[in-house]
Amino acid sequence: MNRYWRLVLLAPALVVLAIAAAQVILAMPAFGHPLSQYGTTVNALAPVLRNVSNMVAAVNFDVRAIDTLGEESMLICAVTATVILLRGRRGEDMTECAGKLHGREWLERSDATVLMCRLMATTLFLYGAYVILHGTITPGGGFQGGAIAASSFVLIYLGEGYSVSRDLLHSEVLAAVEGLGGLVFALAAMVPLAFGYAAAQNVLPLGNWKDLYSGGTMVVVNAAVGVAVIGSFGVLLVEFLEETRAPRPGDEDDETREEGA
Amino acid sequence: MNWLVGIMLLTSALSGLLVVTSRVPRRQVYAMAANSVVLALLFFVLQAPDVAYSEIAVGTVIVPLLFLITLAAIAMNKVRR
Repeated sequence: MNRYWRLVLLAPALVVLAIAAAQVILAMPAFGHPLSQYGTTVNALAPVLRNVSNMVAAVNFDVRAIDTLGEESMLICAVTATVILLRGRRGEDMTECAGKLHGREWLERSDATVLMCRLMATTLFLYGAYVILHGTITPGGGFQGGAIAASSFVLIYLGEGYSVSRDLLHSEVLAAVEGLGGLVFALAAMVPLAFGYAAAQNVLPLGNWKDLYSGGTMVVVNAAVGVAVIGSFGVLLVEFLEETRAPRPGDEDDETREEGA
Repeated sequence: MNWLVGIMLLTSALSGLLVVTSRVPRRQVYAMAANSVVLALLFFVLQAPDVAYSEIAVGTVIVPLLFLITLAAIAMNKVRR
């Protein structure tokens, strides 16, 4: 089939597609006017029944906490699989210096970069912790705060370089943090079962509306998700950044270089 | 506020086009990060600040960084072979 016949076929296909798209677009509700009954129900019920002001947290950590537990397990599984793939080829040893492209000159970091990275990394980590802590009150929550806090690890690498960031960020510690978060979430879902409640039922005292402690079990689950996300994103970043190190003599990568040289 | 949404939608379409049309992988990563910033602003305009948080953290920091590391690892490996 040549270019001409492909264009001839395209024309009727476009006509059919345009008609179908027009039908769908004309049948859609007006922009900014959602008609979701689920949304309006949650908006009306969650502040009264759970004393929280962030409805997304109410859905994620209470109404559909079991779904979130599944997503959390998926995140942990995905990170574990990545780590296995990367470490399997590279091994667990560490080197002292970052790798660089052959023939590229080595530039010292300017003091301004180091200072800005130190200031921004601490601020960013604190802000992530703030977002996690206020997960049931203001927009954000465990996942968002955890991702923000984990971004500060990137700034540590940028400001301090490979070897110092390697000393500061231990993959084992981050993996333990990740596992701790997952464990607390699983316990929060399972412990109510032992006392005759449904799985992940909100059994803790609910606290006051707009308070830092509001939402009962949601506070625990939210913090657990935040900790787990900091851990898993941290592990992911550290293991990927390890790919940029310089190979040591005897490394699997290094053998090929000596053959080539 | 509808005109603001319109502007953001147009900008996101334009920045998405930049991602598709750039042919150098490294530039494409930066274009993707820029596209994520635009998308985060769009989510913010649409009153979903929590989604904007995730988009900024994941879309402009973590994912581009993973791509850049992969490109760097490929480049270093290529020199060795």
